[in-house]
Amino acid sequence: MRLLGDAIKQSDLLQRLEERLRARGLGPDPEARASSVGIEPPVDPLSFNLAALEEHADPTRSLPLQTHRGGVGRAVLLAKWAFRTTCQVFINEALARQRLFNGHVRDSYAQLSAEVLRLRAEVERLQAASTKKRAVRRG
Amino acid sequence: MAVHQLVPSLLPGDAMGQAAIHFQLLLRRLGHFGELYAEELAPGFSSLVKPARELRPAKDDLVLYHHGISSPLSGALLHLRCRRGIIYHNITPARFYEGTPLWESLMSGRAQLTAMAPFMDLSIGVSRFNSEELRSTGHRNVHTVPLFVEPRRFGADRADPRMLAKLSDPAPALLCVGRVVPHKRVEDVLSLHAELLRLRPTARLWIVGSYAPGNAYVRKVFRLAKRLANVEFFGRMSHAQLVAAYRAASILISMSEHEGFGLPLLEAMASELPVLAYAAAAVPETLGGGGIGFTEKRYALLAELVDELHRNPKLREAVHRTQTRRLSQLSADAAARRLEQALATPDRPRKTLRRRAGKPRVAIVVQRFGEVIGGAEAHARSIARRLSRDFQITVLTTCAKDHLTWTNEFAPGKTRIDGIPVIRFPTERARTMRSFNRLSRQLFQRSNDRLHEEHWVAEQGPAAPALLEYLSTEAKNYEGFIFFTYLYSTTVWGCPLVADRAIVVPTAHDEAPLRFDLYTDVFEHARVLFCNTPEEAQLVRRRFAKHAPIRVVGVGVDRATADPARFRRKYGIDRPYLMYVGRMEAGKGIPELVKAHRRLLRAEKEAPLLVLAGSSAAKIEGPGVRYLGVISDGDKADGLAGALAAVIPSRYESLSLLALEAFAQRTPILANAESDVLCGQVTRSGAGASYEDFESYQGGIRKIAAERGPMARRALSYARQHTWPRVISAYRQEMRKIVEDQR
Repeated sequence: MRLLGDAIKQSDLLQRLEERLRARGLGPDPEARASSVGIEPPVDPLSFNLAALEEHADPTRSLPLQTHRGGVGRAVLLAKWAFRTTCQVFINEALARQRLFNGHVRDSYAQLSAEVLRLRAEVERLQAASTKKRAVRRG
Repeated sequence: MAVHQLVPSLLPGDAMGQAAIHFQLLLRRLGHFGELYAEELAPGFSSLVKPARELRPAKDDLVLYHHGISSPLSGALLHLRCRRGIIYHNITPARFYEGTPLWESLMSGRAQLTAMAPFMDLSIGVSRFNSEELRSTGHRNVHTVPLFVEPRRFGADRADPRMLAKLSDPAPALLCVGRVVPHKRVEDVLSLHAELLRLRPTARLWIVGSYAPGNAYVRKVFRLAKRLANVEFFGRMSHAQLVAAYRAASILISMSEHEGFGLPLLEAMASELPVLAYAAAAVPETLGGGGIGFTEKRYALLAELVDELHRNPKLREAVHRTQTRRLSQLSADAAARRLEQALATPDRPRKTLRRRAGKPRVAIVVQRFGEVIGGAEAHARSIARRLSRDFQITVLTTCAKDHLTWTNEFAPGKTRIDGIPVIRFPTERARTMRSFNRLSRQLFQRSNDRLHEEHWVAEQGPAAPALLEYLSTEAKNYEGFIFFTYLYSTTVWGCPLVADRAIVVPTAHDEAPLRFDLYTDVFEHARVLFCNTPEEAQLVRRRFAKHAPIRVVGVGVDRATADPARFRRKYGIDRPYLMYVGRMEAGKGIPELVKAHRRLLRAEKEAPLLVLAGSSAAKIEGPGVRYLGVISDGDKADGLAGALAAVIPSRYESLSLLALEAFAQRTPILANAESDVLCGQVTRSGAGASYEDFESYQGGIRKIAAERGPMARRALSYARQHTWPRVISAYRQEMRKIVEDQR
């Protein structure tokens, strides 16, 4: 464990605190993890969006039941669950066309994003070729 | 070029909205006009923020979009035909929210961050940590502009006294500020508290921040908290309550596993509260050597550290010193310098002043101008007329005639008044007095954050964004600016755009808005302040520690030829009278004056008549009280010359032109003693009396009646000290210094 801060002498302070712990019969905590200061990896928008469209293309599938409210919120959850359980057949009927539409949106996006990837690769190839040509001309 | 800001939501207590308000301040100080646009805004805030769908930037404008969690605005931004920028506040890693609907919003926000990269002209991280993430997602032209707090807003005097009294106790108190959500790891704070209770059974833990009672995580945290003593969840607090919590606590604790900046750490530093924080994500950078960071959550050891920090004054003092240093490194000025660098692009040279031959160009900025009733407005007109001999004056004002509603009554565009060019800009919204007064009552009773004060200014008006945009874009064509009246948006939002070239005539008096910290933008940043009286100057010195240089300048008064007999004949007045001329408003103390005078009439048969003149929504009449309506300048001079005394009932005066005009007619004044300025005029002139209740009102009239002759001589002698040549010479001198500095 490290302590940070310009106001403290880390080793002295840590030593003093550890001594107090030892006096109380306490040792190091084996479960303590070191903190992370690393950044998160980027998320590729094309593949993320495609995956999200696939996940949500079927509007007849319910989302997990959740509420941020206490009290009445729990009762509303119960009512939603009862509605889902008893009326799924009507939900399917009402959303059949939406399901088809969403499927087309997903497929169109898949085709368009694939095309974007192909074009990016093509642009990169052309740029590399052009740079190489310029370098040869110079010299 | 305008720099607009686009935020997903602008709600009180929302960190991103608060950041947008702070960036607005920086942008103004850098001379950029811009408006705020939001997808979701709090009810009643439409005066301050416009709906995102109304954003129509010009090709040259820059739109800065604040990005956090997924928002449809990120897509809309890509289709705006203007320069685009992002201010990145970071996104909580989705792993903390697996299995919840938030997971997808967090992932989507990250996908949007990458998707925006090729379309951005400028990318700003509010920490180096965030900037690194921007670069890793393909953003170029990345700059770091850290968030900041305004330390004075966290002073001991800003704490809610009731909350402070409730919380004050010698036992150690841990404070955790932040929403009760999984990545903030409130359960870890509870674990630390459990360990601390073993050492100090009276220790307390306060958790300040919003929570959703039905949320599974919140219910888990509540269950854990129930097993421990002295844990209190306060939910969201007002600014004043939050300052009380910071001021009453012993230590701020943060166990958060992810912070893109960690504003509460700075707020605690500004509140002189030691900070103990888990060194995750941007936290070590924000601490920057201040406070104490820790890299492992060893609760027993941390409890010992809390105990040490609570009991060891030397350690607390050392920590405090490092925090003060860190706070000064993360100041608004430092952030403004960083933002200036970020906005400077090679193809956009800095705005430079256009030099012209002939008289220097000076703009006078005032909320209303022309045929309007108002002391400051009349003052501005007198100065404009007299300065036009030495400077090329242009008046920038609104189309409003009525300062209560700001309704557009004059035509927009260019016109000439007294031979001076005037440019009028339309107001965008009328003021609703009922809601404005309600808001004022709420905010005047407590200390506030900048968002609420900016909201109050927006409600107060006049809302004339075109005037502010003109100031920003045309500033290069003027060598100096004179702003009248500190109170209105034209000054508080206009002055920072050109502060180094601005003389401000604040016309300040001791009123509630003067206590708003937002007015430091005027009083501490203007080039020079021209106060009307020594009392006003003293008030400004007391209120603003780092005020701009002050000169007491005031106004001049011309002695008009007067014929009291003509006035008496015209209005059929055949007995001694007291006279008031001005706006008949409650704020001017008219109801109290009429009440006191009626009581005087009941007590004394020979009491003088009370003559009132000026614009009024209601007719004020009754035995012993005459209301004349609006009267001409000639009638005013005649009336004042014949009056026993001019009565000035207002509590809030920065000068009182009426007093000077009365003195010029050899007439003493009877003034409200609650106004330091009026009392000062009475004392310095020796020509009048002041009153604070009925007895002193009655006594004042008797005193004036008894000493009317000597007082008349002293009044005239005092008026002769207030001449226009002396006043104009001060303006000329200061404005020439401003002009010289630029040449």
